[in-house]
Amino acid sequence: MRWAIDHTSRERLQDQIAGCVRRGVATGELEVGEQLPPAAELGEALSVDRNTVLAAYRQLRDDGILEFRRGRGARVVSGGPALSAVTEAAQALVTTAREHGLGRNDLIRIIKELT
Amino acid sequence: MNTSPFAGDGALAVYTGRTMSWAAVASSCFSAVLLVILALSSGSSGGALLVVLPLLLIAIGVLLEVVTASSVRATAGPNGFTIRWGWFGWPRCSYPLEQIERAEVIDLPWWRVSWGLWWSPKRTSCTLRGGPTVRLTLSNGRIVTVTVPEPAAAVASIQAAKARCDR
Repeated sequence: MRWAIDHTSRERLQDQIAGCVRRGVATGELEVGEQLPPAAELGEALSVDRNTVLAAYRQLRDDGILEFRRGRGARVVSGGPALSAVTEAAQALVTTAREHGLGRNDLIRIIKELT
Repeated sequence: MNTSPFAGDGALAVYTGRTMSWAAVASSCFSAVLLVILALSSGSSGGALLVVLPLLLIAIGVLLEVVTASSVRATAGPNGFTIRWGWFGWPRCSYPLEQIERAEVIDLPWWRVSWGLWWSPKRTSCTLRGGPTVRLTLSNGRIVTVTVPEPAAAVASIQAAKARCDR
């Protein structure tokens, strides 16, 4: 799992950490059932306080992405609402593209141009 | 959303990964049972020491194997490379960035897999499967080989951190 945060950013560190997990889940880098690193270890690696990581984990738990289990740490339980919303939008995009005679490669090119 | 996890000034990139091998744990437990039977059968003709000593060594060996093969957590980034074993993150090995001369991904053949922690004066190995594996060459010449889920990402974070330090 890749974590990328910016200490100079205006965005709160806990939001950046939560964003990394959301991105990992959305891209498939993090699978359902996967265990996240303990808050103290991740905090040390990212040079942030343990409580900042815990705040990010709690935020993700409240969104239904993580669950906490005693002795087993934080685990991914679902892709969360954000992922399903993106999947639904992507499905609608694929359908619209087919109606206009556009194929897979055309869609990839359009998305690359936009991102 | 970041376009690249390892790009940009002021950004800090870290890789974390966890590997486990229940197959290694199960095979070591099976070997331990065989060794216990062997120790008991050879000990019946000798003294109590001949039974207790091998059993103690087997128990230590199995415990080490269970701890070092059941959960290996690796962290790579600006703080260097850290390996933590077991559920409590202990024992652990840390290699600061300054000590890492080279980080690369190697293709480990299955017959060189250590199935847990293996230490020798020139090498530290903690591999649980063959294929792409992280290899670190330290400034003191020691070679560290570790299985991580995404070795390329781990090496990329080490190289990015080193490049930042060199700037």
